[in-house]
Amino acid sequence: MKTEVKRWLETGIVDVFLGYKRMMNHPLPYCFVKADLEAVDDLITGPARYSLEKIATHIASVRPDLKIGMLARDCNQRALNVLFIWNQLSPDQVKTVNVNCCPSNLKQHGDCSYLEPEKAGTYKQRVGLGKALDPQAVEEFSPQERLSRWMYEFQKCIKCYGCRNICPVCFCKACSLENKELIGTGALPPEAPIFHLVRAVHMAGRCIDCGLCEDACPVDIPLRSLYRKVNEIVVAVFDYETGSRPDQSPFSVLGDTVALEPKPI
Amino acid sequence: MTVKRVTFLQELLNFMGLAERVHLAWISSAEAQKFVQVVTDFTEKIRALGPNPLAEYAAGAKAARLESNSDHRSSHLAGDR
Repeated sequence: MKTEVKRWLETGIVDVFLGYKRMMNHPLPYCFVKADLEAVDDLITGPARYSLEKIATHIASVRPDLKIGMLARDCNQRALNVLFIWNQLSPDQVKTVNVNCCPSNLKQHGDCSYLEPEKAGTYKQRVGLGKALDPQAVEEFSPQERLSRWMYEFQKCIKCYGCRNICPVCFCKACSLENKELIGTGALPPEAPIFHLVRAVHMAGRCIDCGLCEDACPVDIPLRSLYRKVNEIVVAVFDYETGSRPDQSPFSVLGDTVALEPKPI
Repeated sequence: MTVKRVTFLQELLNFMGLAERVHLAWISSAEAQKFVQVVTDFTEKIRALGPNPLAEYAAGAKAARLESNSDHRSSHLAGDR
């Protein structure tokens, strides 16, 4: 892989290559360039992951002429598909090296920081919601119980914006979550559940279920469960599987016909 | 687009445990009777559901903020979280 990356950089197939390098004993995202080919020897793969495609969109917004290479797991690929659809990156400017990812029937071994999320402690199990729960597991609770459990989780929020900042498909220049008219400022926790639901609504047709938001959350809000439900609704109501489809999200196009009816009271 | 977004929102709120509190209807300015009917029906439904449970959380959060602002240091020292 390293020889291939070196060849790409040398021959100008890509101008920069995004991967990981061990620095201060941490695997951190690193941008490899032709001027420093020796650094490519330090390119590593492993369970560590970051939204490299997000860095790519930042690079492309300043230098749209650069060709960008990057390591890509399955979740990175799905995010890239979404970013192509939303015109944040162009398929011609990105070239990927596919790396090992989640295990499946076809491959037993997987490399991902998310394979075994932390088990919820007894208190969280009693009043909150564990990480990486299936939406079905959440729906087993009664509506009252769901509300109190979600509110317990949301009210821990310290409004660090980590979920948004790590999100590979969050690219808007003006973010609703920073709009003072929509989200009150100056107090913690932020207005629950408005803050979290606004983000959830904006994830419809965009979230590719990489789970980085949940990984990044310093107070362990089970965001992946919430956005998994978002994806479930988008599949169930609009038959749109985000990240694996080349067409635009149902929330970006009107469509030719109205397929939905307002629900009765 | 509106019906898409509202349908999505209804499903999401239901997942959070806040079902049935959002309604969408198309009423033309010429349909006064329909307007009255929809508003009456929806008001009745909301009345039957009772007050919005979020109000309680909002009041609780506000009280907690006031308390932590006025008494931040002492509660911190006492290890009272």
